[in-house]
Amino acid sequence: MIESLRFWAIIVLVAFGLFFTFVSAVGVLRLPDVYARAHTASQADTLGAGLALAAVAIALGWQHATVYTVLLLFFVFITNPTAAHAIARSAAESGIDPWTTDDTEEGESK
Amino acid sequence: MSNDGHQEGGFAVAADRLLVPLSDTVTVRQTVGYAVRSGLERSDELEVHLVVALPHEADLPESRHHTADAEELLSKAANWVREDAGSASVTVETALLGTDEYLFGPRDFADTFGDYAQEHGIDLVVLDPEYQPGATAQMLQSIERELERVGLAYDEAPVERPARHERLVGDGTERFDRLFAMFWISYGFYLVLGDPTYWFDLVTGAAVAGIVSVSLAQITFTFPLDRVQSPIRTVRFAFYVPYLLWEIVKSNLAISLVILRPSMPIEPTMTRVNTRVRSGLPLLALANSITLTPGTLVVRADDQRLLVHTLIPSAREGLFDGDLERAIRFVFYGRESAAIPTPRERGDTEIIGGDDQ
Repeated sequence: MIESLRFWAIIVLVAFGLFFTFVSAVGVLRLPDVYARAHTASQADTLGAGLALAAVAIALGWQHATVYTVLLLFFVFITNPTAAHAIARSAAESGIDPWTTDDTEEGESK
Repeated sequence: MSNDGHQEGGFAVAADRLLVPLSDTVTVRQTVGYAVRSGLERSDELEVHLVVALPHEADLPESRHHTADAEELLSKAANWVREDAGSASVTVETALLGTDEYLFGPRDFADTFGDYAQEHGIDLVVLDPEYQPGATAQMLQSIERELERVGLAYDEAPVERPARHERLVGDGTERFDRLFAMFWISYGFYLVLGDPTYWFDLVTGAAVAGIVSVSLAQITFTFPLDRVQSPIRTVRFAFYVPYLLWEIVKSNLAISLVILRPSMPIEPTMTRVNTRVRSGLPLLALANSITLTPGTLVVRADDQRLLVHTLIPSAREGLFDGDLERAIRFVFYGRESAAIPTPRERGDTEIIGGDDQ
């Protein structure tokens, strides 16, 4: 009973992790500019990686390597937004104007 | 070393024109008070020149609020002088210096003061021991030397609170608190990676933690730790993490729906939110949480003013409702301080068009 519960928990977590990573990839392809892409590239990804790591932790069970997985999770959650912020900030400093809905007409070609 | 300056100008020459450089320190009020008092002891007529030297160009957009702060400080200080002067005849002059150039380091500041002093016939500079122009590191030692180089006599105001360079060297308990906290944090981390039941790891861990705490404690904690508040904050932070995770999942789903929908109804906007958290760790935690929540991305953190890029309207509304801000305030300041009006109610939000500024 416990074993099958654990099995399905792993399956569900991996599935959701894959889903959010997939969304993040789609977002990077579909979104119009660097700011919007930074949103999904690093953030939807954070949850994707987080869920996958949680699945790994459950799969490993109660052993020492699990602690490393949780630590990894923790650091992913600190470093990912920092990276996103660094990208967005350097974009802003190089003077890139954010895409807005008014740009739709002429912005299609990009 | 600094005594030369004292004798030269402070007591030998009767000073009737004083230059008081101001910055936003805890001792600025006492400095102004001392300048007026000591000036009136030496002569009946006194002219006090209050100046704020700006480290940035005043017209740049990001330094506009520095300029506004400086003007506010000047007008406050002018009132203090009038208050302290009472019936004595004291003239107050205020000025912003360095508005058209970048001041970089004590030498530039001293040169600016020197030019101003020459122009207005200043006899004596009254220095605030905590004087710290702009955001640069504490620089009193060298600004004294630079003032001597320019040939300006100066007098350091005797203020109640000890100057910062003394505090840095070591107030005993504060130093101990930092070492203690740093030691246990690094020891804990070492044991998490190692094996807490194995004696070898316990011994090497203690040695490593000792080295780390001695060498890095002053760098890690740039603020004084509080023996009661700091552990409480850590506990509150543990409550905050599940809440943050829930927010992340919620907005991730919202964003995923938007991205996967063929029409992709996004509405990117640049917004500015003035937050009510202190600079440093609270601001870092808030900005990181905002970025971690999909749909909002902190582009710039200019003190308390965050420039946030939002992807969809619901994320923007959530940002303006300030839930995360309240949660951060709860973590750092406790439950009572969490109950503040939302940024929208405070009027601290602004939607900026496509432009950066």
